[in-house]
Amino acid sequence: MRKVWLFLACCLCAGVFAQDRKDVPARTIAITAERFVFTPSKIRIKEGELVEFILTSEDTEHGFLIPGTSIHAIIPPRGKGELRVKFVANRKGEFFFECSRACGAGHNLMRGSIVVK
Amino acid sequence: MVNYKYKNMVKVFMALLLAMGMSAQTPEQERRLERLEQKMRQLDPTFAIGAGSWEERLALLEQKLDSVLASSRSPRTKSEPASPEPESEPKPEPAKEPFSLVSVKGDYESSNDSESRMPVAGYMEAHFNKNRGEPGQADFHRFVLLFGHNFSRRIKFWSELEVEHAFVEGGEETGEVALEQAYLDFLIKPYFNLRAGMLLTPVGLVNERHEPPAFNGVERPFVETFIIPTTWRELGFGVTGDVGHGLRYRAYLMSALNATGLNAEEVLSSAKTNGFQASFRNPAKALRVEYAGVRRLVLGFSGYTGITGNQFLSVKPAVSIASFDGRYSYRRLDVRGLFANTWISQAGKLNFVLQRQVGFGANVASEMRGSYIEPAIHVMPRRLRQDLILFTRYERFNTQQRMPQGYLPLGEFDRKALVTGFTFKPHADIAVKFDYVLNYNASAVIRPVNAVNLGLGWWF
Repeated sequence: MRKVWLFLACCLCAGVFAQDRKDVPARTIAITAERFVFTPSKIRIKEGELVEFILTSEDTEHGFLIPGTSIHAIIPPRGKGELRVKFVANRKGEFFFECSRACGAGHNLMRGSIVVK
Repeated sequence: MVNYKYKNMVKVFMALLLAMGMSAQTPEQERRLERLEQKMRQLDPTFAIGAGSWEERLALLEQKLDSVLASSRSPRTKSEPASPEPESEPKPEPAKEPFSLVSVKGDYESSNDSESRMPVAGYMEAHFNKNRGEPGQADFHRFVLLFGHNFSRRIKFWSELEVEHAFVEGGEETGEVALEQAYLDFLIKPYFNLRAGMLLTPVGLVNERHEPPAFNGVERPFVETFIIPTTWRELGFGVTGDVGHGLRYRAYLMSALNATGLNAEEVLSSAKTNGFQASFRNPAKALRVEYAGVRRLVLGFSGYTGITGNQFLSVKPAVSIASFDGRYSYRRLDVRGLFANTWISQAGKLNFVLQRQVGFGANVASEMRGSYIEPAIHVMPRRLRQDLILFTRYERFNTQQRMPQGYLPLGEFDRKALVTGFTFKPHADIAVKFDYVLNYNASAVIRPVNAVNLGLGWWF
């Protein structure tokens, strides 16, 4: 009977963790934003993969915008925290992300790309 | 009896397991899904509710939502009947949005305000400078506004308009209004883009990143004032891009320096045309390559070469600059450094011609050299919103490193400086600065004076 209880407890835990795992990203990618560059600037992910970007700034406030999507958020200035963006890539291709807060002379080219394979 | 009891418990657990392990849904999620289904039914009464497993119902809901969104996107006038498409020509599935946002968590909220508006930014800095033995002077040094405009996602404008020293009066030696930048970017590929207009010469650390909170010290480094004439802007065009692996470049053709402005004291500063009556007969070539492939490390190489534009037919000196720089942060420690060397060809001839023209020798060197290193430490705990940076910068710069034949270098131009102070940031974009400058030179006659500087700068 002990074995039955043990088995049931394991199954119960597995069920609970299966629930939690749904929101656990397959990959977490740390990105640093600094006048006027994202590092890394080219990120490769898989189609259908749940990924999480953790963005921090090394200087001022920057924006994180993927044009043509609903993904647009603010990266707080250095020392004021981080931004976490979790999303799923639905289709293959190369997509750009860019800074959406005017941050200085090279702001226009503060961009990066996400390659979905 | 006992067996019966356990059998029931097993049944209950098995049911629980099925509910949590296989479908892995809670009653709350079930209720939320039902509510969504009911809302969808309000939108479309034909939508079926509650059919299939939890995943199937969710998939059905997503599919229906996509079709509703697609139909709402296609414009249809009131007069047009909402007739269904003929069955023989099935409607193609709407293209899926490339990314499905799951969540945004951060210290700032997400924003739906994309950058279609005109980006406006600016920086300002006010200084108080006191040289030993002289009265102190307060100066609102820079008031700069930056404007941009996106013509499209691929064509963007950027500009920087500056008022220096607060007050400008025609014909008087007071402040100045200057166009520091005004250019168009044509974004083609990440590794290849075009840029044209009034550009910052891509040389050194500070010339392109000169916002007050971006560097320590009230005044910009001496090396990036005398050896690299910050802020240096010229008319030009070129290519720029990010080739991946942290490697990026900028390569421009720019208007040439004006040889009549070259001298021993300021060297290149007075030779900048700043886009006014600039000579493009022999455009200068400027290149910067940066490597930022390792987190918090940026290494840069800058090169510049160009024949100066001038009114003297007999002499056409060329100015060349090579500089290496680096920035690195490790935990609470920042280190930055730069080495720059400048060459001026035909310096002897130029000195001779300038003496004949203006009546005194410009004493222009054929080679100049400068370098600095600046360690800095963030002393306040990370959890605090404020930041206090203690720094010290050692600079060595000689604007007469090598003289043309027949000219002797003067010791007063072989200089060293030790700048020590702090930058306090009550906000990441506001800097209260203080530093003490110990100046040295190699002259036995002219002794430099030490200075105290206080500054307030901000960026928005």
